[in-house]
Amino acid sequence: MKKISLLMVFALIATVLVVGCGGGGDQAAAPAQQADSAPAAAPGPAATGSGTIEGNAKYINGDPDAVIGMDADPVCASLHPGEVHTEKVVIDDDGNLANVFVYVKSGLEGKSFPVPGTAHMLDQMGCQYKPHVSGVQVGQKLVVRNSDPTLHNVHARPKSNKEFNQGQPFQGMELEHTFDKAEVMVPFKCDVHPWMSSYMAVLEHPFFGVSSEQGSFGIENLPAGDYVLEAWHEEFGTQTVEVTIVDGDTAVVSFDFSPGATASAG
Amino acid sequence: MAGHPQKKPDRHFDFGRLNRWFGISSLALLAVTLWMVLADYAKPWKQFQSEFRDRERQVLLQQASAERQQIDESELNQLRQDISQEEDGLEASRTEIHELKKTLGKLGKKIYAADSASRTTKSLLDTARWEYDRDLQEGDEAAIERARQRVDELGEEWLENRKAVESLTEQRDQARDSLDQRQAALVDAESRLAALLQGFETLEQRAANLDKSLSYRLLNAPLLDFMNPDLKIEQVMLPGLYHDINFTKVERVDRCVTCHVAANRVGFDGEEWEHPFRSHPKMDMFVGSSSPHPYSRFGCSSCHGGLDRSTDFARVGHSPSNEEEMKSWQKKWGWEPQPYLETPIYPADYSEAGCFTCHSAEVWTPGAELQDTGRQLVMRMGCFVCHKIDYPAFQDLPRPGPNLSQVAGKTSSGWAFQWITAPRDFRPTTWMPHFFFQDNTSSELNLERQAVEIVSAVTYLWEKSASPEYPPPPPGDPRQGQVLFETVGCTGCHLMDAEAKRDDFFPQINRLHGPNLIRTGSKVSAGWLYSWIRNPRQYAPDTRMPDLRLTDREAADITAYLMSSRDPAFEGLELPEPDPQVRDEMVLNYLRNNETIEQSLAVLQEMSAHERNVYLGFETIQKYGCWGCHDLSGFEIAKPIGVELTEEGTKPLHQFDFGHVHDVPHTRHDWIRTKLLNPRIWDEGKEAVKNYAELLKMPNFGMSEREAEAVVTMVLGFTRESVEASSRAGQTTRSISLVEGRRLITRFNCQGCHLIEGQGHAIRTSIEDVGMLPPNLAAEGARVKSDWLFEYLHAPGAVRLRPWLTTRMPTFGFSDDEVNALVSYFAAREERLAFLSDPARPGARELVVGEVTFNMFQCAKCHPAGPQEDLGAGVGAGDLAPSLLLAKQRLRHDWVPDWIRDPQSWIPGSKMPANFPRSPDGGYTSPLAMAIDTPMFAQQKERMMRYFSSDEELKAYLGDADYVTGVLRDHIWWNLED
Repeated sequence: MKKISLLMVFALIATVLVVGCGGGGDQAAAPAQQADSAPAAAPGPAATGSGTIEGNAKYINGDPDAVIGMDADPVCASLHPGEVHTEKVVIDDDGNLANVFVYVKSGLEGKSFPVPGTAHMLDQMGCQYKPHVSGVQVGQKLVVRNSDPTLHNVHARPKSNKEFNQGQPFQGMELEHTFDKAEVMVPFKCDVHPWMSSYMAVLEHPFFGVSSEQGSFGIENLPAGDYVLEAWHEEFGTQTVEVTIVDGDTAVVSFDFSPGATASAG
Repeated sequence: MAGHPQKKPDRHFDFGRLNRWFGISSLALLAVTLWMVLADYAKPWKQFQSEFRDRERQVLLQQASAERQQIDESELNQLRQDISQEEDGLEASRTEIHELKKTLGKLGKKIYAADSASRTTKSLLDTARWEYDRDLQEGDEAAIERARQRVDELGEEWLENRKAVESLTEQRDQARDSLDQRQAALVDAESRLAALLQGFETLEQRAANLDKSLSYRLLNAPLLDFMNPDLKIEQVMLPGLYHDINFTKVERVDRCVTCHVAANRVGFDGEEWEHPFRSHPKMDMFVGSSSPHPYSRFGCSSCHGGLDRSTDFARVGHSPSNEEEMKSWQKKWGWEPQPYLETPIYPADYSEAGCFTCHSAEVWTPGAELQDTGRQLVMRMGCFVCHKIDYPAFQDLPRPGPNLSQVAGKTSSGWAFQWITAPRDFRPTTWMPHFFFQDNTSSELNLERQAVEIVSAVTYLWEKSASPEYPPPPPGDPRQGQVLFETVGCTGCHLMDAEAKRDDFFPQINRLHGPNLIRTGSKVSAGWLYSWIRNPRQYAPDTRMPDLRLTDREAADITAYLMSSRDPAFEGLELPEPDPQVRDEMVLNYLRNNETIEQSLAVLQEMSAHERNVYLGFETIQKYGCWGCHDLSGFEIAKPIGVELTEEGTKPLHQFDFGHVHDVPHTRHDWIRTKLLNPRIWDEGKEAVKNYAELLKMPNFGMSEREAEAVVTMVLGFTRESVEASSRAGQTTRSISLVEGRRLITRFNCQGCHLIEGQGHAIRTSIEDVGMLPPNLAAEGARVKSDWLFEYLHAPGAVRLRPWLTTRMPTFGFSDDEVNALVSYFAAREERLAFLSDPARPGARELVVGEVTFNMFQCAKCHPAGPQEDLGAGVGAGDLAPSLLLAKQRLRHDWVPDWIRDPQSWIPGSKMPANFPRSPDGGYTSPLAMAIDTPMFAQQKERMMRYFSSDEELKAYLGDADYVTGVLRDHIWWNLED
């Protein structure tokens, strides 16, 4: 009971915060929504199809990710019993690369797609942004939550959209924002904890995915057609590949960011 | 005499013939008169006004019909139906209403009569009272009694009169109410109908006013149009703005809007509105009544130039932008050049030239970007050192070139020879112009003469220069030096880019404030460089290069880095020997200016070869005016060598010498532009005819087309036009402070590192992280105390405000005058007082709430509020935000709460987060009121509750953003003192 009322209090705080946020989005109160970091292809009338892209991202022989020293904020340090690694280069033993953002870069021009009704959640947990890489649609509601018992500031530094920088001194605080222009990528940082960062793509359409820890990603419900697919990685830059989608079929692509390797579609 | 056979005629003329001639000449006179009337009637401006009237009417009709379509038909019909129903209803009681109206009329007359009677009685009463008063003083008892009775009687009568008026008025009001009641519904419906149709009817009425009705045609008909025509000359008198007509000045009378009918009206800027029917394109800046330059005060010609009173297209001074436009004007309007017009209208490309007439004291003029760039170029290229330019903006400027009084210790004479020969060969971005080997000095003999001139000038420099010895610097690490060069602040003024061209940076002239440092290793000695960057003023006391307070180690590393940029082509150069014959001939020519031919020969014979070189060097430096840009001994009181430019923009066109060049249009701007692009062009075909000393000698700055255009815009602004002081810009105390501040900001290139008035941060080319840029000074005057800023500018090294920045605020060695000007500038910019007193110490409650909220917001996470812990670079408090222990002495107490409430509105992109969300009414709210009830703040709440009578009261205070930011400031001010 007590927990519920606490949640309500913070939902209210979020309301007030969000209504006046200088960040510019039209923000309103909302209770915490289920985060949906996996892209949900919105059921659109003519603009969707039944094509699928599956794929995998690799980086062979990469160095393991660096350890973050969180000593500067004892609260953060106390949240992690073991070592914490940066999420820049996350590779498994087979060289599968996580946090690669894959999206349809061109081929969808002139089509419009409905904005998902569900909010996208960016959480600050253990003094790290979760997820590290994600995507939203233009006009889709974004909720940024502070799940840590310490001060964070949500500082988005887009180039085309409006910059915002909002403090969240209390655990459970949330703010809402919507981006009104497409932009790959919008960097998020926390000035209090310089190691914290997240990248969020803002797209006009729902056809994007982020590679998992196994390096795999998928994009569903694509209409048939020829597309340019781009894969973006924070450290290794971008790769593009052309794919042809046939209704009902699955196209398989792979991106290899190892030095000298390239993308391929099959 | 007598006996003359012929009969003498009684007159010498023939009546018949006379009548015929009289008839013919009368007809001719009539025809000419009619012709004159018609010609006057057919003036183009009348046609413009007439055409514009038609077009505006059309637009209004279209708008009216659009407005009509907006009106809800059903609502309109309903109202009309209501009205007719009401009217029908009233028809039934028509006689009754008629009676009521009649009664009203009668009552009105009665009231008037009764009121008049009452006023008469009142005046009689006043007379009686005066008489009573007089009789009382005179003491005649009988008279007193009579007077008293009369006063009483008249008093009674007046009272009766008033009663009658009041009773009649009441009757009338009743009748009126009764009439109004019957008509109320109708009146209401009618007023609603009027409101519904108002927008449409207003537009329609405006269109109807523009209709060319019979009365319009009569009033504007030939001969009849003297009465009150619609088509007439529109003019505005401009007191304080003068037009110089030789020997006297007349106030301007602008008639431009006679043809440019919409120039001072809003809304005619769509594509369909061509000249002269367009609105001014920048109404918020010019012409608009609330703009800084309203039409009623400044008119048009005071900025654009042209003949203010003329309404004739061909004579007013329109300047075509290109040949095509000129031809079409000639064909359409009979345009012809006006060579004797002092101020033709500025061509479109140079229209900003007109700003300077009033803005001649300013260093930059917001909105006149091209002219500003021109002004910066005139300063940077040093035009003002050879050409006198008598305006405040060009007074007391620093010399544009380096001090050469110790040049022998810095570089070699061989390098100097190579440099002077062609400065841009060594450094393409340099402002130093090419004096030698130009179009008009290409004969074999002249080539030799120029080589001799350069050698002797260098010889003179080395003869007069001190040659301090510089010990070699300690060894440095060039890689570390490069990191320092790119991060410590050097790149705010200097480039290190072999590919850079000057034009790439247009119009950001300040990106080239200091030299591009490529090939430094081939130019200077390492010892000199090390000494120079550690203490620039030791070598050149008046240099603008500041002291970055480099340690020996840092200076050695940077020296090593800069010395590593080399070009073998410029190394090991020797000063050549001059051709003795050519040299002697030139020396002799100079000597002959003051001596006889024989004496000159004798003097030459007595000089050694070295003395001859030095002598010729002195004359060469004199001739080319090198001392104007460079400080060098022997030339301290020399006079400028060029033509004065103070009135160049109104110099008569026939005084411009176009030489034998025939393909340049004969206008001032074309002459100046051509001259800037090739300063020797007017000597074309004259090299063989002129003596060497007579050849044009303005050096070649290698200007790009854009640079030339900017400079022309500036030079065209140097006119004889005069303006009363009250009309000029920069007359208030505030604007004087702004001008003085901007002058220093430009001189010391503050915008190389800082963002000031939205311009600057040039250094971002080498510092990509926005958070690592030197501070944005947008709000500096509102933010810091004047006395703190004064101390800081004098000694910026005394405190490190932002320890995380790699850049370092250098020590400029400002004088007290300069620092005062800068402090006043920042205060004036934010419209703040220079000094303010400290706030009173708040009560115990505010200090406690301040401390609690300070902790709740976790301010100390970023701002060190006590002794700092060292957590390593980029991590933890102290590397994130300025220490709050400095706040009380540094910050203005009235600014701190405003800043905490909304940091982004002061400094966009600031790392300081917004913590107080905006409320729907535009104010701010505080999230604390709701957060305080969470269990983790129970203790804090208890601490505060001692000062509040109830939970509600506490929350009311905590929810008030103004209160919370105020107590946060109080906490920082009073609790954090160490």
